[in-house]
Amino acid sequence: MEEVLRSLGLFKPEIALTAGLLLVVIVDSIGGAWRNGAVRILSIATLAVALGYAVELQVAGAQGAIFSGMLTVDPLGSFFKIILVLASLLIITAFTFRAARELHGLGQGEFHALILALTLSNLLLAGANDIVMLYLALEMVSITSYVMVAYLKGDRMSNEASLKYLLFGAVSTGGMLYGLSLLYGLTGTTSLPGIREVLATGVPGPQLALYLATLLIVVGFGFKIAAVPFHFWCPDVYQGAATPVTALLSVAPKAAGFGIAVRFFFGTFAVPVTGTWDLSGVIDWQLLLVVISVATMTLGNVAALTQNNMKRLLAYSSIAHAGYILMGIVALSDVGARSLLIYLFAYLFMNLGAFLVVTLVHLHDGTFDLRDYPGLYRRAPLLTLAMGLFMLSLIGIPPLVGFLGKLYVFGAVINMGSGYYWYAAVGAVNAAIAGFYYLRVLKVMFIDAGNEDKPPLKLAFVDRAWLLFFAAANLLPVLFWSRIDEWARGAVVLYTGR
Amino acid sequence: MTAADYVFWVFATATVVSGAVVVFARSLIYSAFALLFTFFGVAGLYVLLGADFLAATQLLIYVGGILVLLLFGVMLTHRIYDLKLRTEKTQLGPGLIVAAGIFIIFANAALITEWPTVGREPAPTTKEIGRLFLGEYLLAFEAASVLLLVALIGAAMIVRRKKDA
Amino acid sequence: MIGLSHYLIVSAALLSLGILGLLTRRNAVNVLMSIELILNSANVNLVAFSRFGAGNLDGQVFAVFVIVVAAAEVAVALAIVLTMYRLRRTPNLDDADILRG
Repeated sequence: MEEVLRSLGLFKPEIALTAGLLLVVIVDSIGGAWRNGAVRILSIATLAVALGYAVELQVAGAQGAIFSGMLTVDPLGSFFKIILVLASLLIITAFTFRAARELHGLGQGEFHALILALTLSNLLLAGANDIVMLYLALEMVSITSYVMVAYLKGDRMSNEASLKYLLFGAVSTGGMLYGLSLLYGLTGTTSLPGIREVLATGVPGPQLALYLATLLIVVGFGFKIAAVPFHFWCPDVYQGAATPVTALLSVAPKAAGFGIAVRFFFGTFAVPVTGTWDLSGVIDWQLLLVVISVATMTLGNVAALTQNNMKRLLAYSSIAHAGYILMGIVALSDVGARSLLIYLFAYLFMNLGAFLVVTLVHLHDGTFDLRDYPGLYRRAPLLTLAMGLFMLSLIGIPPLVGFLGKLYVFGAVINMGSGYYWYAAVGAVNAAIAGFYYLRVLKVMFIDAGNEDKPPLKLAFVDRAWLLFFAAANLLPVLFWSRIDEWARGAVVLYTGR
Repeated sequence: MTAADYVFWVFATATVVSGAVVVFARSLIYSAFALLFTFFGVAGLYVLLGADFLAATQLLIYVGGILVLLLFGVMLTHRIYDLKLRTEKTQLGPGLIVAAGIFIIFANAALITEWPTVGREPAPTTKEIGRLFLGEYLLAFEAASVLLLVALIGAAMIVRRKKDA
Repeated sequence: MIGLSHYLIVSAALLSLGILGLLTRRNAVNVLMSIELILNSANVNLVAFSRFGAGNLDGQVFAVFVIVVAAAEVAVALAIVLTMYRLRRTPNLDDADILRG
């Protein structure tokens, strides 16, 4: 009992979210004319409170295993929690029901309840310390996402996308479950620290079962972060879901997936030594991840070159970015983990900004097709300039925040030694290839002639404010470079005890 | 071969054979009923492994809940596509090779690996599992209830016909 | 004597059958059934390891959670399939072709 009470002290963000979720469900069922507004205010308040608690945890540097080792709290986890709650908060506030044309007329109560539930599940996933909790949280994130993708239930594309997402996801996590069961069989325990102890001393006999387990677990993670060859669901789901949902999916579950991947690969399949980690056992999962990372970057970037649908283009773009982020995991060091955190932080602002622009264009023009974008500079200069910033940030041009991310990630790989220089070079070449399609978007918006007969876009004040916010979020971080670096350094502390 | 061994072979064969029927049957209803036997077989295996609580849970939830739901799904969507089924198994050959390969790899891994052999003698598990749910696995237990809430809200929302909330 | 390997082979068989079903079946409900086969195979693993290998009940507790997750998944899946049937009158995956790829 005391253990539970002690754990609750470190569990505040999640408690806030659970309370908020239940309140939203209750308020929505009570009904009444003010229901939608009340639910929205409630969700924003809940997320703000949760964000506050998460920041408090990070600042206090809280560490420890809670709830009998089901979850672990550490600066690394708290960093992820901040990103995850912030992502949901930005989605609810910037991408409102008013701004998202696809969502007009649909129930708001369930939407907000689902977002709160998704955020809660993401937080549980980021802190999971036991394979039971890991599987449960992973499936919670997945199932909530399936429902959110299926939200536009009258729309055939959305329906089809959600079904494909569900079936693909269920297969991947089913395979991962089989791998986890083998891991349980090999080590006799479900707790991650316990598994690490057994793997560190080595598993006797033929290692085939361990290889298979690792492979299957990589399949599960790969699906969540949309790495190749587990990415097939991504473009269809991104296209079929409502754009705010797509924006959230492109950041939050992916970040949570990376969070648990870092914890798993650094804390379980490797043994911590100061500054670096040593590979446990004989599985060379680094090589496997390098291959996956290269394939992911390349396929994502090459496929995006020919896309005309903005949501599919951004889907392939986010697939490619997952490839860059994987570099941080491959690096298997403090520098690597730090680069991953900074990249995700940058990615949050770049991606959400781009999706906001796409949503606003759809709100006013009713289209997601890039070929309908010419003349936007004339019709909506602020919007186009903001998009310019987001595209340049995604390419990685200094001094934008995207450059920071890429710098750290490439730096972490180069830090591994000359044997890996080729890997960083592949990353750089990929960034260059990506430049083509990001710049193409800008060319169409700024330079191409077309749509002369269309009137200028009248953006609501709130929308303009949010565009400016995201633009600032892409421009300003470089001014605080050293602060960010320090913060990330402090965050790379993994609690690996029981 | 003791009586327990004999029972194992009965359940194991029933499970695998019905699993095969699930995969190969032409009609969806046949697959669903074969799945029923698969679940029963697995429940039997659980009993042989001394997992009494789990066997009961399997029967209650998998057979009594999930399978019934699947049958509803089958019957509500049954009409149209029966005719199309014949043209669908275009990839049986390569599929069989892949599946056989997977079986060989995993069965091999199962046989050659030196699994730890601590083991436990079969004993009633319900009390102990209850203690674990409210002790070590408390958080997972509570999280599962949130999951069920979300699935409930989600499924109801997706299927509901009215446009307003 | 029936031992760990026997159960592991049964689960390997169920896993392969499930994967075979995934590869060859076009109907969404059939694919769901194959996924259930895979989940059950993992559960058999967990319980077998609990009995012969680990010697604790963690595997069985894990298996209960897997069953819970499977129930939630199937509920959502069938809701989506039912909606698909209403929208286009076929739960056939091959006909789900509005989205490329």
